[in-house]
Amino acid sequence: MTATQSNPAYPQPRETPTNAPMLAAWREGMLALQECDVCGHVFFYPRSVCPNCWDPSLTWITSDGRGRIVSFSRIHRGLPEAFADEAPIVLAEIAVTEGALMLARIICDDAEAIQSALPVRLLSKPEAARYPLPTFTLD
Amino acid sequence: MLSCDNGLIGYGSSVYEKRATRTEYSYLAEAARAALASAGVDKSEVDGLAISSTTLPPDNAATAAEYLGLELSWASVSTAGGAGAVISAINATQAVESGKARYVLCLAGGAQDMAFFQDRMLRFNAAIADYLAPHGFGGMNGLFAIITRKHMERYGTGREQLGRIAVHQRANARLNEQALLRDPMTMEDYLNAPVIADPLVLFDCVLPCSGAEAVLVGPLDRVAKEKQVRVQAGAERHNHPVGEVAPLSGGWEVFRDDLFNEAALGPGDMDFVQAYDDYPIMVAIQLEDLGFCEKGGIGPFLEANTMTWDGSFPLNTGGAQLSCGQSGGGGGLITLVEAVRQLRGEAGPRQMKNANHGLVSGYGMVGYGHGLSASAMILESVT
Ligand SMILES: [Zn+2]
Repeated sequence: MTATQSNPAYPQPRETPTNAPMLAAWREGMLALQECDVCGHVFFYPRSVCPNCWDPSLTWITSDGRGRIVSFSRIHRGLPEAFADEAPIVLAEIAVTEGALMLARIICDDAEAIQSALPVRLLSKPEAARYPLPTFTLD
Repeated sequence: MLSCDNGLIGYGSSVYEKRATRTEYSYLAEAARAALASAGVDKSEVDGLAISSTTLPPDNAATAAEYLGLELSWASVSTAGGAGAVISAINATQAVESGKARYVLCLAGGAQDMAFFQDRMLRFNAAIADYLAPHGFGGMNGLFAIITRKHMERYGTGREQLGRIAVHQRANARLNEQALLRDPMTMEDYLNAPVIADPLVLFDCVLPCSGAEAVLVGPLDRVAKEKQVRVQAGAERHNHPVGEVAPLSGGWEVFRDDLFNEAALGPGDMDFVQAYDDYPIMVAIQLEDLGFCEKGGIGPFLEANTMTWDGSFPLNTGGAQLSCGQSGGGGGLITLVEAVRQLRGEAGPRQMKNANHGLVSGYGMVGYGHGLSASAMILESVT
């Protein structure tokens, strides 16, 4: 299987020392979350301190890549040019297994099949290469 | 009581335009001139300035004073987005009450159009730029669509129920020359409008535009009794609830009881509500959080009420942002200006019969998923 190419037209996240491990993990098709060494809080997006207790001792953990849709939208209009051909884009609030809440795209041939509470999983590594941030599909 | 003797003594709006024909300062100055004229106060008497704007930086309150030729003893810039203008007016009232300034101009506005706004949204703050824009997130529409669907699925809130907010506000806007969107709108028009980000349709989403709003805070006795508007209570809350991405509450419920207690009034005493209306779902959540109905009960509440200026629950009596347009930070002040108009009896063809007490609320500064800032104030007509 050939890997899909990243799309240079998409806005890219700025890589910083704080988020570099998450972005590197995604290049391998994995979701990296941060877990606080002191209070155990697991969270996304990447931060340099725990938002719960402000401790800077954080450990990167690899998510099992699965979660559940909490809510979502199929976005038809008002998309930046780089995304317009892909409308509708599905943006969802996802609760991942490890407990963190995140917003992410769900790639699905039939956007009408998306429903709240459905299980999702990360795209496979070859599919992942196109997208700048962790992206899901229906499980 | 926030202040017995000091309050809102002037108000003004600039023209609203779909495309900017001038700078943000031009719109702010036009609104400010109108506010001073409505109070009979001269520019040379102004010694306080509170600007609420997300597009002003890297300029700030001092550089704004330089640009506008003001010498100040108190100055502030609020960055709490659409909640900022109400917070500005609360802070300004306290500044006058404590003697730090005598006449404070509170200004909010923006010079923008749809293209400018869509581009700015991608860089609205670090979390949006790095973790939402790369997804093609559809801007604020995508985020508030997620919140809207969650409310509908959890509480059974219907599109037609939420749609009454947009439809009734449009009826109000038809009596407001400032409104950019004044065509008649029926429920059928609303329900059949193009889908933007489901479940949101065209008429759920504000139109970014150019314009500005202003209020003048000062000693009440400077103006005639019928023009005096007292600030009975005010409050703000940020980042409530902590750690949620798409919450169904926004922070008003935390201070609601204190707010009404400070005013010695309850929700039932309000003759009108001017709520921040970037999306109908946020108006709905504000009304729930502020205690006008129970959490999750907004659907039946909207169905049982008429939200027109002469209806059973007057809401956004000038049409607010959904019909006038969102003039950047001015979206947070258009509500307060309309409240002052009603309380002074100067709202023209849409003037309510008995406007003695009103509630104004603000909301904004969208981060990773939702607006982080909430504010509200209770106002009273002195006569
Ligand atoms: Zn911690």
